[in-house]
Amino acid sequence: MLFNSYPFILLFLPIVLAGYFGLGRRGNLAPVIWLALASVAFYAIGNWQFVALLLISIAFNYGIGHLLIVAKLGPSQRKAALALGVAGDLLVLGIFKYAGFAMENFNALFGTHVAVHILLPVGISFYTFTQIAFLVDAYRGQVAAYALPHYALFVTYFPHLIAGPILHHKDMIPQFEREETKHPDAHLILCGVIIFAIGLFKKTCLADGIQPLVALAFETRSPSFDQAWLGALAYTFQLYFDFAGYSDMAIGISLMFGIFLPVNFNSPYKATSIVAFWRRWHMTLSQFLRDYLYIPLGGNRRGRVLRYVNLMITMLLGGLWHGAAWTFVAWGALHGAYLCVNHAFNALMPNMPLSLARPTRVAGAVLTFLAVVVAWVFFRAVSLEWALRVLRAMADPANIVFGREEIAALVLVAIYASLVWLAPNTQDIMGYDHGNRRVGEALRAGGIRPVMLYGASLVLAFGILGIQSHSEFIYFRF
Amino acid sequence: MHGTFIHLKRLLLASVACVLGAATLTYLVDPLQLFRPSRLAFYSDDTRVQNAGLIRSQSFDTAFIGTSLAIHFRQSDIDRVLGVHSLKLAMTGSNSRQQAFVLGQAIDRGARRVIWEMDDFIFVDAADIETDPYLSVDLYRRTAKGIASYLFSAAMAKDSLFALLRSIPPLRQPLTKAAPYLPVKFALSDVDDIYALPRDFDVARDYNAGKVLASFAYITASSRSRFLGEGYDYDAMVRHFEQDAVGLITRHPDVSFDIYFPPYSILQFVAMREASPETLKIVMDLTAHIAQRLTQLPNVRLHDFRAIKAVTHDLGNYGDVIHHSPVVDAKVLSWLASGQYRVDPNKPLASLDELKAQVEVYRVPQ
Repeated sequence: MLFNSYPFILLFLPIVLAGYFGLGRRGNLAPVIWLALASVAFYAIGNWQFVALLLISIAFNYGIGHLLIVAKLGPSQRKAALALGVAGDLLVLGIFKYAGFAMENFNALFGTHVAVHILLPVGISFYTFTQIAFLVDAYRGQVAAYALPHYALFVTYFPHLIAGPILHHKDMIPQFEREETKHPDAHLILCGVIIFAIGLFKKTCLADGIQPLVALAFETRSPSFDQAWLGALAYTFQLYFDFAGYSDMAIGISLMFGIFLPVNFNSPYKATSIVAFWRRWHMTLSQFLRDYLYIPLGGNRRGRVLRYVNLMITMLLGGLWHGAAWTFVAWGALHGAYLCVNHAFNALMPNMPLSLARPTRVAGAVLTFLAVVVAWVFFRAVSLEWALRVLRAMADPANIVFGREEIAALVLVAIYASLVWLAPNTQDIMGYDHGNRRVGEALRAGGIRPVMLYGASLVLAFGILGIQSHSEFIYFRF
Repeated sequence: MHGTFIHLKRLLLASVACVLGAATLTYLVDPLQLFRPSRLAFYSDDTRVQNAGLIRSQSFDTAFIGTSLAIHFRQSDIDRVLGVHSLKLAMTGSNSRQQAFVLGQAIDRGARRVIWEMDDFIFVDAADIETDPYLSVDLYRRTAKGIASYLFSAAMAKDSLFALLRSIPPLRQPLTKAAPYLPVKFALSDVDDIYALPRDFDVARDYNAGKVLASFAYITASSRSRFLGEGYDYDAMVRHFEQDAVGLITRHPDVSFDIYFPPYSILQFVAMREASPETLKIVMDLTAHIAQRLTQLPNVRLHDFRAIKAVTHDLGNYGDVIHHSPVVDAKVLSWLASGQYRVDPNKPLASLDELKAQVEVYRVPQ
């Protein structure tokens, strides 16, 4: 089911909210079970064939978690239980996500023609990572015993299930356990509706609005210089508004239930370095990769060279996490290389003279943005060959068309660029503070101003009017 | 708490009011001319949507349809050369099901003659038109669902607002001039300009032998040649032809159909010969079937331009292996007018046999 669909907005969400708060009057557990069942139903609509896999995955990880948390196992048994849990998760992910890719490469290497056709279960990368983090923390002794309904809701919670953010049990389960969240909080619902409206507008009007321009670079056999740049920039903004829109909608929906989700975006294209970019883009994935991959690999504790090796490994696997294709590997490798260069630069130039600080920041922002755009070309292209073709066109200013279509595209790209760089982000507008569980304090204190109220109404209205027949989020594929 | 619930209620009610306001604006401005024709209307290159409005708002006696091979024709040229009052309904990448549906709608609105640019590949994939995500039958039929999708649309509301601004006298001229360069859908002031190339278009830059040979090399490269015949299945294609083309023609015996096989460059067939001979056989067999079938129908005149060597062997006429230049567009109209290449019902395969012989002996320029 899609957040940007009439059935979700007009039927599913109101019914689930009513049931949740209705049951909330009777106790603390029933709303959790209701929400978990609603989340499974949300997943089943359109993905019914993968519901069993999701439920088995939850049961498996809860069982392993139980062994690690409650059972009195010795150190080697605990290690074995963790290994079994993580290996089981990775095996399932490997089969459903990477078997086809592995076989393609095997066929290419050995000239065989073995075909593997396995459908990718929606959200598998997200719920697998969420649960691996749970197991690792359980092994480290950082997890209290959770009840099965709360654990099941933590994994299936529909605002995040399909495309994140990647949740942490320590952040979420205590919120599910709190009794206050079971009673409607008008302020949180109002803020949730506004944040949802902003996200819906970003998706249906902005991301879907610029999507046709992407074809200029990625569906033209030999794009010109301007077409390649305009198409690559269009994709850069489409992806941003698509994923940021989804993340806002997830936060907004969750707020209506009184639950605070972590922020996943913080104006990433305003980053002045690639290191800062990764602290602002898909933040929950970056945190996961840092805590459960980069640091266990040794992080920066074993010298500079190993630090760079660890960075490359982390980003290569981060690329593969997005999709089973060489284009994603290339994208991850590029970002790994960018990060190494950035860290090396920081090591060589630890103290920038004050007079150079501002120009360096501006140059850093421009360079970071361009580097990110180049990497997105690999992320979007259907093959490495196609990506290189687009990049070659982007490097050939002699071949320019700049006709009517390209000028119109340039105007649109300029509008999007100004939105991305000049407009405040959703957290800033709404004062969303995930850590302190606060939102819209200014609204609460001063009352909502008519301009804010009617502005939000307009955004919600256009978000709804922008809904087209079927427009999936890009991150659903991962 | 109570105050916040009032705010929430206000927000939701104001949103409903905005949605209804936007729908009313679209209804009043009607940029697609779905409800009423307008002299001030502008037009869009999004032909699958635009055609729904054109069929409702324009007067015509002839419908002109096809794929991208027919997209650059100008209605004014068609009218001048063929002496008709035409409506161009060509849609890039359209399949036979979409073309037959749109033609059916045009015939219901008064077309008595159809000019149909017919490619073999339109019969490859003909999905159920009722569930086709790329062409809204509800919009064409003006069902409640189609009208709702039109009125409750942010894109249409945006274009309606732009049209409204453009109707204000001091803004009319600058906005009309700027419209083609702005991100608005309905930017063309003349229906004749829909997908037409500008009058000052540099033909030689976009249509030349270099481009055609590069395109030929691309599609015949070993890594991509399998795509040449992707989806080609003789039986399925014949089925689609019978259902979409023959079905439409026989349902409308009072409408005359001028159907033509367009003049692809010879390299289109040579590419198949080199990289996918089985596809070439399917194409030849299918068009033989089509020729034999159509020439037996009393309301059809079939024209085959594929073997006109002077055009198809001159690679300077093409932008890739199939798309010909506007110069050839003009020739197509004159051939249709003269009937020079009309297929003889007594010898329906003559031009096909000529084409086969040309394909067999052709050598690609090195």
